[in-house]
Amino acid sequence: MLQLALSLLGGLPIVAGLSLMAGGALGVLRFPDFYTRLHAARAADGPGAAIFLLGLAMASGELSIAVRMLLLAALVIAAGPTISSLMANAAHAGGLAPLAGHYRAPRPDARERAP
Amino acid sequence: MIAPIAAAGAAFLLLLNMIRIFAGPTLHDRALAVNGTLTKAVLVCAALAVATGRTETADAALALALGAFLLGVAVLKFFRTGTFQAPMARAGDD
Repeated sequence: MLQLALSLLGGLPIVAGLSLMAGGALGVLRFPDFYTRLHAARAADGPGAAIFLLGLAMASGELSIAVRMLLLAALVIAAGPTISSLMANAAHAGGLAPLAGHYRAPRPDARERAP
Repeated sequence: MIAPIAAAGAAFLLLLNMIRIFAGPTLHDRALAVNGTLTKAVLVCAALAVATGRTETADAALALALGAFLLGVAVLKFFRTGTFQAPMARAGDD
C-alpha cells in the first residue's frame, strides 16, 4: 500500500525534473553564447537531475536501489557546480570573450536603439 | 511503471544535447554538451535500474557519474594548460 502510494507519488518529481531539464536542453540549443549556454545548462540541469533522481528513489520499490539513487543525487549536486565553475574559468582563461552588446546611455536624439 | 517513461524522456533529452556536440562553434561548447550528455546517460541508466529492479545497473550509473566528473576535470585542465603533463613547479624554482 505504502509502496504503491510512493510509486504513484514519485511520478510528480520525475515529470518536474524532466520538464526542468527540457528547459535546460532548450537553452543549450538556442542561446547565442557559451556563457549563456553554460548558465542555462547549470541553472536548469543540476536541480532537474537531482529532482528526477529523488523521484526515481521514491518510485523504486526496493531500498537498495533507492539508497543508490540518493547517493547519485548527492553526487550530481556536488559535481555539477564544480564542473561548471571549472568550465567558465577555463573558457575565460582561454580567451573566449563573452558576447556582450554595447551599452549606450539613452539620448533623446538617438536614432537607433542599442541592441 | 513510470520508470520506462522516465528513461525515454531522459533519452530524448540526451539526443537534444548531442545536437550541440556536433553544432557547437567552440571547443568549450562541445565540452559542455558532452558533460550534459553524460549526465543524461547517467539518468537513463538510473531509470533503467529502477525499471528492471537490478542493483548492478544503479552501480553502473554511479560509476558513470564519477567517470564523467573525472573526464570533465581532465579535459578542462587540458584546455587550460595545453598539455596533460602540467609542470608541478615553476621554471625558476629549483
